Amino acid sequence: MILDPIGTLISLLTSFGVAAMIALSLNLEYGLGGIPNFGKALFVSIGAYTAGVTYTRLLPLLAGQAAPYPCGAGMSQALQVRTEIMRTLPAVGLTNFLMTLVIAAFIGGIVGYLASYPALRLKDEWFLGLVLLASSEVVRIVVRGAEPVICAHNGLSGLSQPFVFLPTAQLRAAAFAGMTLLAAALCYWFAQRVARSPYGRMLKAMRENSDVASGLGKPMARTRASVMVIGSAMAAVAGVFFVTNIGFASANDYVVGLTLDIWVMIVLGGLGNMRGALLGAAIITLLDRATAIAAIQANMLGSQFDFNYARYILFALILLVMLRYRRQGLLPEQLDTTGAGKFLTKLRRQDVASQKATVNRHA
Amino acid sequence: MTLTQLVDSLVTTAQVGSLYALMAVGLTLTMAVVKLPNFAHAELITFGAYTALVVSLFVTTNPLFAIGLAFPASALLAWAIHRLVYRPLVRQKSTTYVLILSSFAVGLIVRYTLFLLADRYDLFDKRIQIPLQVLVAIGPLRLTNIFVWVTLSSIILVILLTLLLNFTSLGRQMRALADNDTLARVLGVPVDRVTDLTWVLVGGMAGVAGALWGLYTFVDPLVGWLILLPVFAAAVLGGMRSFAGTILGAYIVAFGENTVMLLLNQTFGLDFSFKPAIPFVIIILVLLIRPQGFGGIGRSATEGGNA
Repeated sequence: MILDPIGTLISLLTSFGVAAMIALSLNLEYGLGGIPNFGKALFVSIGAYTAGVTYTRLLPLLAGQAAPYPCGAGMSQALQVRTEIMRTLPAVGLTNFLMTLVIAAFIGGIVGYLASYPALRLKDEWFLGLVLLASSEVVRIVVRGAEPVICAHNGLSGLSQPFVFLPTAQLRAAAFAGMTLLAAALCYWFAQRVARSPYGRMLKAMRENSDVASGLGKPMARTRASVMVIGSAMAAVAGVFFVTNIGFASANDYVVGLTLDIWVMIVLGGLGNMRGALLGAAIITLLDRATAIAAIQANMLGSQFDFNYARYILFALILLVMLRYRRQGLLPEQLDTTGAGKFLTKLRRQDVASQKATVNRHA
Repeated sequence: MTLTQLVDSLVTTAQVGSLYALMAVGLTLTMAVVKLPNFAHAELITFGAYTALVVSLFVTTNPLFAIGLAFPASALLAWAIHRLVYRPLVRQKSTTYVLILSSFAVGLIVRYTLFLLADRYDLFDKRIQIPLQVLVAIGPLRLTNIFVWVTLSSIILVILLTLLLNFTSLGRQMRALADNDTLARVLGVPVDRVTDLTWVLVGGMAGVAGALWGLYTFVDPLVGWLILLPVFAAAVLGGMRSFAGTILGAYIVAFGENTVMLLLNQTFGLDFSFKPAIPFVIIILVLLIRPQGFGGIGRSATEGGNA
């Protein structure tokens, strides 16, 4: 029933790239650092809101035009202005997009730093999760009520991806998919580097026992803040891709459901394993699309039930089954071996071998 | 602001606050006794609301019957969730985060199952019907029979639960578990049975609260989720241990959502769409500034030694 296999593949790849970036960022925070970020949607939404502001203010400025107020009566005129610029001035569109990425990463980092601040003061460790969850909802409610960002509850359309100047639809989608995958690959490379660095091992030490780690002289407050900054900046960058992929910014997209999807990805793939995050993102993206298609099919066959709701049930079941029966995920975390670690393992092997030799000689 | 508006908002505060109190003491009880921040508490509420709605639509319109059936329905659901999900996870020595995630997952399963069914049988935004009567009308003060039903039932249930915790052996055992579960086990408290009964009690109370909420306003599969966070705010204000603090917290949250919101709207022109943010701001501020909440006051109920 899939009418356009190549188009479907391209759009799946784009969705996968976006999901992978968010999953990698959460895997850095929780998988390595043990920070329960139940407010992931907030950091993704920062990317979307940043795009909302740059597309309406920065973009006309870069094109040398006046920026009309994007909401209310001037809504359609402002939409026309930014659509026109994106179609006819590719250089301006791309510059604006890249600047959006940088600004989003910067703002995301700042908010991540602010969000890590309460962690030091909270009595119970899971309170941080509650504070993040609550913050994410507060920001969503405020943005939904305050007009200047993305026109309150109306949302903001025309946040098109930067390749709309290309002649055919498939070419546009392919170019954007390539860019998204490139960004995801960079994020993956970066996350792997972090995971295998001394800093990554410090994160794991913090996850396992932060008292011991700080007893050994590791600065826990700074570590927690820095990993939140990195993860949030990455999520905000992913948010820019997320929103330009849809082309429409609405505060209602950044709810707790989005956060939970990302959690399912990393628990399914394997906490602390970056390849696991990619695998989880791939499986969940595919399942998401498959359930949507299945729901349409069921509807056409005259089903009385709307199976779009079943998607959430399926994902929640996956999460429960993984937590119960395979906590380490599909791809478990690999033991990190440094040069010193390899040397110690070798010594231990030699030691065991010589002990065995001694035992054999006496026997 | 007119006097009528002010009095109206105070009446709503009393009504919603009583409901929040009924929901929040259950949440506090799970956090104290079972040591689990149960986000699926929302769905226990919704399930009770839907049970009452279905009973009132298809069986009988007697509200007492509908509310009464919500108790066993949600109690059974809570007990089943405990046995199927939480207990195996606790026995695997799961961290709090894993338990929170699993409670999110369980909540989603129940919520979207209700969505599926409500969509199929057209049960969105329905109301548990009882004929509305105005009982008291003195000047700007108007009290309906629904107000009396909701407020009185909530207060009576909260009082009953407090009595049960303080004056029965089950209550003593629950408090022992809340204080120190290893010690309780050593001293011969039947931990499994007490935990089971805690879940039955918590689930049942949440179910009744949901049914009462359905009397007060509309029933929808999201209803529990939307009131969960104000309820969490109330529990946070109670320091997640103290009953008296939680009840006080519930009324404060309701006051903030209704009367303070009205004042902000009238004086600063703050739009009512910001209303849901109020409980979140309370959660964040309390956790940052005074994480023990009102935990220190009224050494009642599950108040522990070092809380």
